[in-house]
Amino acid sequence: MPNSPLYFEDVEMGDEVGPIERSVTTGQVREFVQVWGARSEPSRFTDPDAAKAEGLPGAIVPGAMSMALMSQIITGWSPSMVLRKLDIVFRQTVPHNAPLKLQGIVTDKGVVDGRPQLECDVFMEDAEGTRLVIGKATVTVPARG
Amino acid sequence: MFLDLHTHSVASDDSRAEVGQFARWTGVLRRKGYRIDGFVLTEHRQFDLDKDYSALAKSSGLIILKGSELDTDRGHFLVYGVTEELLSRVDFTVVGLDAAHLVAEADACGAIAVPAHPGRFGIGLYEYVEQGAGLGSISVVERLNGSNRPGEQERADALIESHALRGTGGSDAHLVSAIGACMTSFDNDIADEAELVRELRAGAFRAVRLEDTTQG
Amino acid sequence: MTSDQEIKFDRSLLGVEHPVGTFPVTREMMLAFSRSTGETSPAYVGDGSGSDKIVAPPTFCNIFASSITRPDIKLEFGDIGLFAGQSIEPRAPVAPGDTLTATTKLKDVYAKTGRSGTMVFAVWQTSFANQKGETVALVEESYVRRNRRAQE
Repeated sequence: MPNSPLYFEDVEMGDEVGPIERSVTTGQVREFVQVWGARSEPSRFTDPDAAKAEGLPGAIVPGAMSMALMSQIITGWSPSMVLRKLDIVFRQTVPHNAPLKLQGIVTDKGVVDGRPQLECDVFMEDAEGTRLVIGKATVTVPARG
Repeated sequence: MFLDLHTHSVASDDSRAEVGQFARWTGVLRRKGYRIDGFVLTEHRQFDLDKDYSALAKSSGLIILKGSELDTDRGHFLVYGVTEELLSRVDFTVVGLDAAHLVAEADACGAIAVPAHPGRFGIGLYEYVEQGAGLGSISVVERLNGSNRPGEQERADALIESHALRGTGGSDAHLVSAIGACMTSFDNDIADEAELVRELRAGAFRAVRLEDTTQG
Repeated sequence: MTSDQEIKFDRSLLGVEHPVGTFPVTREMMLAFSRSTGETSPAYVGDGSGSDKIVAPPTFCNIFASSITRPDIKLEFGDIGLFAGQSIEPRAPVAPGDTLTATTKLKDVYAKTGRSGTMVFAVWQTSFANQKGETVALVEESYVRRNRRAQE
C-alpha cells in the first residue's frame, strides 16, 4: 500500500489496481471457518472428501473468504480509498493452495451525491488466467484541497 | 465498422455494468488506439421494446442496438432484430425454449437467431450437434466470445469449419472493462437493428479481437 | 421446470422480513478474520500493542451473513447448492464490543441455464444494525441450486 494517500485527481479511467498475488492455504480456510462458527465440520471448505461427495473437484475457499480477498484489492490500494460497495459474482469455485491473482481497473470516475467516487472492475484469476470471481467495487476518495 | 454483438448491462442478473459506463469505456479504448463503433445489448431472457439509447448513442458517437440472449434446448441463442411480432410468438423468459422453433419464428419475423458461444462446455451447440442434432437453417454462429474458457474456442472453430458457417464476435461483457474484447467487423455500415439483420444474412462480416482493430 | 413461474418454492416468503439473530463482535474475532484472509491494513489489524483501536474489515459481516439460519423456502430443484454472488455495502464502522442484529428477506427466485445446465437462484437481502440502531452493512446474497455433474 502506498504510504501517501491517493486523491481523486490522481486516478484516471483505465488505471490498473494491483495485482495482489495470493494462495489460500487449507490452514487459513480452517481458521476462517472457525471464526464463522456454528458450521458442521468436516465440510466442502475443509475436507476434500466432503467436497467430492458434493460433486466438487476438491475443497473450496468459502465465498465469504473470497469476498474478503476481493475487498483487499481496494483496502490495499491506498489508505485514502473507502470501499462503499463490493458486488461480486462467483463464476467458478476457488481451490485451496493454488496461485491466485487479484486485480482491478478503474472504469468510471465522477462526483456522486457531492462525493468524488470511482468504480472499478475487480477480478480473481487462476494461474491459467481464468476469471474465477468477478465484480465491481464502488469507492469514495478525497479530492485535493 | 466494428460492433460488439454480445453485451450485458445490469438489466441482466449477472452483469455489473451500466450502459452509460459501457459507452464511456469505449472512449478509453479509443484513446488507446482501438476501434469500436458500437455494441448490441443482449440481455438474458428479456427484451424491452421501450428502452431507448438513441440520446446516449448520439452523445457518445456510438451505435447502440438491442437484442436478446435466450436459453434454449440447444444452448444460448443471440437474437437480433427483435420485433413485437416475435415477442408475441416466443416467450423470451422461458428456460429451455425449442431452438428450432425460435430460429423459425425469428426468420419469419425478420429477425435472426444466432447460437452464442457454441463451443461452451455443457450448453454449447457443438455438444448437441455431436449428439446428432441438426442445424436447420442456422448459417451464422458466434465464433469469438470474450468469456470462452480453455478448449471452448477450438470447439467453436471446429463446428464452424465442419458446417461452413459464418462467425460473429462478441465480448459477452458482464463488466465494463470487458466490452469490445471480441467484435464483428462489417464491410457495410449499420445504423439500426434491421440493417444488422440484413448484414448478418448477407454475410459480409468477420469476427475480430480487440487487438485486431488498432489503427495504423 | 421451464420458466420462473414453474419453480416450486414457498412464495409466501417473498419480501417478508425475518429477524435472524444477534451477533456480538469481539476483537479476537476481527483479528482472526483478518489473519485468515491475509488482511494487513493497520486500520484492521492495529499496531500489535493490543491497546490500539481497530475497526472491522469491510466484508466482516459476512461471517454472520453466511451462517445465519434462513427460513426454508422449500425449493424443489437440484441436489447441490452453491454461493453464486454477493454484494455488500458497509455503511458504518464495526468495532470490538458492538452487538449486531440482523434481519433478512427473500428478494427473488429465478431460473437460468449455464455451463452447469439449468440452475435456480435464490436472492436474500440481509441488513445488519448495531446496538445504537445504525445500519452497519447491507448484504445481498445469491445462492444457486443445480444438479451435480458426473464430470466433477
